[in-house]
Amino acid sequence: MMLRLGVETGTAEDLAQETMLNVWRKAHLYSAEKGAASTWIFTIARNLRIDHIRRQSSRPYVDLDDVEIESDAPLGSAVVEQSQIVARVAKALDVLPPEQREVVRLSFIMEMPQSEIAERTGIPLGTVKSRLRLAYDRLRPLLEDLH
Amino acid sequence: MTISFHPDIATLMSFSAGTLDEPYAVVISTHLAMCEACREQVKRTNLIGGALLSLEPATEMSAGSLDRFMSRLDDAEPVQPKQQSKPGVPAPLAAYLPDGIDAVHWKFSGPGVAIADLPTSRNASGRLMLLRVAGGRKVPEHSHGGQELTLILKGAYRDRFGVFAAGDIADHDEDVEHQPIAEPGEDCICLVAVDAKLSFRSRLVRTLQPLFGI
Ligand SMILES: [Zn+2]
Repeated sequence: MMLRLGVETGTAEDLAQETMLNVWRKAHLYSAEKGAASTWIFTIARNLRIDHIRRQSSRPYVDLDDVEIESDAPLGSAVVEQSQIVARVAKALDVLPPEQREVVRLSFIMEMPQSEIAERTGIPLGTVKSRLRLAYDRLRPLLEDLH
Repeated sequence: MTISFHPDIATLMSFSAGTLDEPYAVVISTHLAMCEACREQVKRTNLIGGALLSLEPATEMSAGSLDRFMSRLDDAEPVQPKQQSKPGVPAPLAAYLPDGIDAVHWKFSGPGVAIADLPTSRNASGRLMLLRVAGGRKVPEHSHGGQELTLILKGAYRDRFGVFAAGDIADHDEDVEHQPIAEPGEDCICLVAVDAKLSFRSRLVRTLQPLFGI
């Protein structure tokens, strides 16, 4: 996703390296019950990209692990393997109605704010929001096993 | 904490995607620190990012990239989890309110109403502020110049959508008009992210707007 940002290849590679470095540094904090590795890596990459753009230390995007005060997540509660969920969601994303898939992709991969999606695609902001909501409604049953 | 009002799921998706402007991201982060239900939601919306990432075609790194990476890896130190912030200020807000809520410099903004801007980075286009309304006082009726996110930190207010108390969040579009009134009793203190200047409807207030800097 770094390469899609519009940053030059060199910067994108630096960010990709930085992401892998953080994965390495934080690997001992990662637990499989908390989420799929690809999701975890996605959030690390996202935070680094934001830091890079903003070039400052105060971090507006909270890390869920930092605010999860009481982690009484029931261990071994028949939670489906997280990577299976990702695979299922990926499949479902593939069969979303094209207009919903487009806004989801523009948002998560092209990293466009909702207002920019509206501008670029010429659809009203309200429609961008409702397409995101509809896409979520479709994906939600697949995300339900998550704890 | 019983929370009745949560952000729009589209806002949480944009949070997961990392595309919210800083002031909005701070308000959502602070709500997440207070709201378990939304933390669960964000775990789900993060998963969408992970799934999309797994669908993207891989890109080749340039020659030498792996070597450089391996040498950086040798110097890498493990990261320890962050400590919780001081009491009274939710952790995500700590960086923006280093001296706590009591040290805030309030600016008079109409009878019973005060605001305090919180500094954000230069890349932020919106505005992050604290709004304090004395018990029983009105915030002038207004529509929004864009999205408005309001998180109640203390006290409560009432408008046509219901009673908003600590932890509740009002996620309003530009076409929403409302007139919050602080519930009787203690001050209502909110963390607010706005896109542009709030546009107030009443003529009097519109005249006063530049004066009060709302
Ligand atoms: Zn919530």
